[in-house]
Amino acid sequence: MRQVAINTHISGKFNMELENLRNSVLTMGGEVEQQLVDTLKAIKQNNAGLAEKVILNDLKVNSMEIQIDEECLRIIAKRHPTASDLRLIMTISKAITDIERMGDEIERIARLVTKNKLPPSDTITSSMLLIGERVGAMMRGTFDAFARQDESAALSVYDQDNRIDSEYKKLLTFTTSEMEKTTEDMQDWLEVLWALRSLERIGDRCKNVCEYVVYLSRGTDVRHTPLESMQEKLDLLS
Amino acid sequence: MVSLQNMLTPAQRQSFTISITAFLASLLLLALVSILVLIVVRGGAYFWPSPIYEAEFYNPATASSKTVYAQMRVRTEESGSRVWQVSYSDASHPFGTKTLVEDHHLNDRALATEAAQIDLQDGTTVFARPNHLVTAGGTRPPLSDYEENKQQVMALTERIEEIRETYLSGIHEQLAELDIRDVEQDAPARLRLNAEFAKWQGQTRELEQQRNAYQLDVTFADGSHLQVPLADIERVNRVNQQSWWQKIQMVTSGIWTFLSESPKQANTSGGVFPALFGTVLMVFLMTIIVTPFGVLAAVYLSEYAPDNAFTAAIRVSVSNMAGVPSIVYGVFGLGFFVYTLGGNLDDLFFADRLPAPTMGTPGLFWAALTMAILTLPVVIVATEEGLRRVPDGLKAGSYALGATKAETVLYTILPIASPGIMTGVILAIARAAGEVAPLMLVGAVKFAPNLPLDGEFPYLHLDRQFMHLGVLIYDGAFHSQTDAKGASMMFAACLLLLVVVFVLNILAVLLRTRLRKRYLL
Amino acid sequence: MLKLFEHETLDVSNLSDAETALEVQDLNLWFGNKHVLQDISMRIPKHRITAFIGQSGCGKSTLVSAFNRLNDLYPGCRYQGSIYLDGRDINHKKENVSRLRTQVGMVFQRPNPFPMSIYDNVSYGLRLQGVRGRRQLDDAVESALKDAALWDEVKDRLFESAQILSGGQQQRLVIARALALKPDVLLLDEPTSALDPLTTLFIEELMAGLKKRCTIVIVTHNMQQAARVSDYTAFLHQGRLIEYTDSDTLFTMPEKKQTEDYITGRYG
Repeated sequence: MRQVAINTHISGKFNMELENLRNSVLTMGGEVEQQLVDTLKAIKQNNAGLAEKVILNDLKVNSMEIQIDEECLRIIAKRHPTASDLRLIMTISKAITDIERMGDEIERIARLVTKNKLPPSDTITSSMLLIGERVGAMMRGTFDAFARQDESAALSVYDQDNRIDSEYKKLLTFTTSEMEKTTEDMQDWLEVLWALRSLERIGDRCKNVCEYVVYLSRGTDVRHTPLESMQEKLDLLS
Repeated sequence: MVSLQNMLTPAQRQSFTISITAFLASLLLLALVSILVLIVVRGGAYFWPSPIYEAEFYNPATASSKTVYAQMRVRTEESGSRVWQVSYSDASHPFGTKTLVEDHHLNDRALATEAAQIDLQDGTTVFARPNHLVTAGGTRPPLSDYEENKQQVMALTERIEEIRETYLSGIHEQLAELDIRDVEQDAPARLRLNAEFAKWQGQTRELEQQRNAYQLDVTFADGSHLQVPLADIERVNRVNQQSWWQKIQMVTSGIWTFLSESPKQANTSGGVFPALFGTVLMVFLMTIIVTPFGVLAAVYLSEYAPDNAFTAAIRVSVSNMAGVPSIVYGVFGLGFFVYTLGGNLDDLFFADRLPAPTMGTPGLFWAALTMAILTLPVVIVATEEGLRRVPDGLKAGSYALGATKAETVLYTILPIASPGIMTGVILAIARAAGEVAPLMLVGAVKFAPNLPLDGEFPYLHLDRQFMHLGVLIYDGAFHSQTDAKGASMMFAACLLLLVVVFVLNILAVLLRTRLRKRYLL
Repeated sequence: MLKLFEHETLDVSNLSDAETALEVQDLNLWFGNKHVLQDISMRIPKHRITAFIGQSGCGKSTLVSAFNRLNDLYPGCRYQGSIYLDGRDINHKKENVSRLRTQVGMVFQRPNPFPMSIYDNVSYGLRLQGVRGRRQLDDAVESALKDAALWDEVKDRLFESAQILSGGQQQRLVIARALALKPDVLLLDEPTSALDPLTTLFIEELMAGLKKRCTIVIVTHNMQQAARVSDYTAFLHQGRLIEYTDSDTLFTMPEKKQTEDYITGRYG
């Protein structure tokens, strides 16, 4: 594993720019993470005000994506990064798209609260919160792996998604059976389904970011590869 | 049509080209080497003592034979007959003479172990067998006392010289002044001086008599005796008895004499010191004059002059000046410097001595100036070449630091161009040291009584005529037809001239190398 | 809204006098009959790095040389218009050019240290100014070499020939030589085109540090270099100033098509 040494360029300004860029990504990640925490809290307390704040805050995340993208563009235009620097910029440029999407998914979940369309079943709500906690942990792990450019941490985070997927599937089965019992408010149930799916999607986005982290430190593209063969591929390389 | 191209393969053509060029280069090398060998061998022979023979030969002119002590060299004439060049002395020619003896007239020849080559102060040589010394008291000390007696003679000589310098020359000057002021012949001052002069002169005469009583008694091959005053003797060399070491000592002292003493016997023997000194001094003066002029002119042409046709014309004429025959410069120096410039200077500053010219006569300064003019183009062209080699970037760098043009030239351009300038000066020195023709017109003479530099105010006498190695060689060459020894001296002078030019060049090249290293770009 | 990145940019088309180091007004310049610079007007901001880019022969070097009147050296050079430095027109007849050149230092394409010792190189300009005091010269040489980030490499051999230094060191020596005069403006005419890429980066980094001390104007053939080091970039084409703005904008969203073509490597 090779660390991308950001601080070792001859140009001090370039060092600073890269450092700033990375920190901004972490700030953005932190922001999204906080959004998720706030959303889960809003669901738990059925706090429409907090959910409203989350929805508003998503604009901030969006603007961060634009700013970071601009900065990436600027750095490419002015610094002509190569090798690890280029991978870092490309990784960031892609990762922020995923992070921003995570923000969008979170916003969708928050809307559940503002529209007062929380699932009528407490079981579902608590399962949902449980999955939400897991997704939050995964998110933290992802940004941590990114910050440390730790590919093994990234891989273990990648692994967590399987559990989320299976729990999601279980909850989905349970929810559909609940839906069959009640015939009214189909629309509301659909909202719940969408929100569950959003949670699962956040996990997938985290997986994407983890793949970028592997790419960043290895230069190997591991997208669309099953985990086992991914591990093999990396072992082969190291 | 048969051409070279068709006849030969490309490889052959190439080797043919290489052969031709290499042949011509080796021919050139051969010529250089033979010049050097000739000069070194013939010049060196001047210093190497040749053995003394006791020879008996027949003289067809007087129809008689004679036996002499002689140094002999054989020469083969074009007709194939062998001829001996014989330098000998006998009773009729005690101080040496030379003759040619045909081989069949030489009756007998044998090494004369006892005979010596006795070099006299006046440059002549006596070949005879030394017997014993003679002193004032009429005693006859053996030859082993030679050094002791010689010492006494030298002490007397010193005393005489002292009287001459301290008293006689002073009185003589005072008398001369009285002459200039047209003082009566019987004026008391003049009478008093005359009396004093006579008194000191009497004393020197007495001392001289005393000195001349010390003599060396020698015998010629035919048995006749000669008594040579010790005072006249420079050296007694018993050549045939000398070991190698003694011969080398003799050669060394001969070289020293050659370098340190004045010529004798019309430049056929003695030393060449005044010529050597004159050459070096003239070259030195010329360098001092030509370097600033040449460098400044080159700086103007390359840095300041506008880039137009006029400047180009000046450049071309400067280059052409280098090709003007040197005698033309000599005539110019004589006509312009000596007669016009010197004549006017005389009119202005030395009018009281006219009609005797002071500056209006050939002299050291005019010679140096003429040579400076002659070598000016060389210095200008080489300096300009050096200046052109200074990178524009360096000049721009200097200007960009706020330097004016003059500052840039002084601090940046000239130091960097200095190797180029030195090249010019080296070429100028080499040319000036070897030039003869113009010098003969403007100041170099066959024999100058005084050095241009002495202890008399103003110490450096720029108006004096001087001797020059080249002129000495030229003179020697004219008189060398029959004179074997003079010819040798001419070769020795040639060798010396080569050495002088070589040494001056080496010095300049060393200086240039140092500069190059320092200003390496 | 949260601002993640701070990029200060001045509007160079509308600089205040206090922010201006050099102001060029309607500069026209001819070499013989050749109209090399046409109607150039611009303000160069103080304590910033301004780059001039453009094809060979576009006049960028000539424009920079106009800032210290080095064009005067070439016969047949005429110019009109004004260049203001410190409120005075340096194109004026009475301008003391020697003084101007100590105020506006210049570094050239090929490192051109004088063939003297390192010390003498750096003190050359000061000596011309008449500074003779040993202490004063010592101090000035030391601080100039430190500013040029060369001191540690040469402090033990100040009196050795400058010719033994490497290309990058020589170029820094030349920069130190200019800095010794404490110039207000430092002109760099393709300062790294004779150096290898890494040495180039060192020089660029040096420039970034130097802008605290003086205004830097750099001419470069290397667009990447202009992008990397400069705060502002001017693009010249056939003697005209085509576009002049902050480098971020010029290298990401140039306004003029000619600029776009040049920086993207297309036929103009």
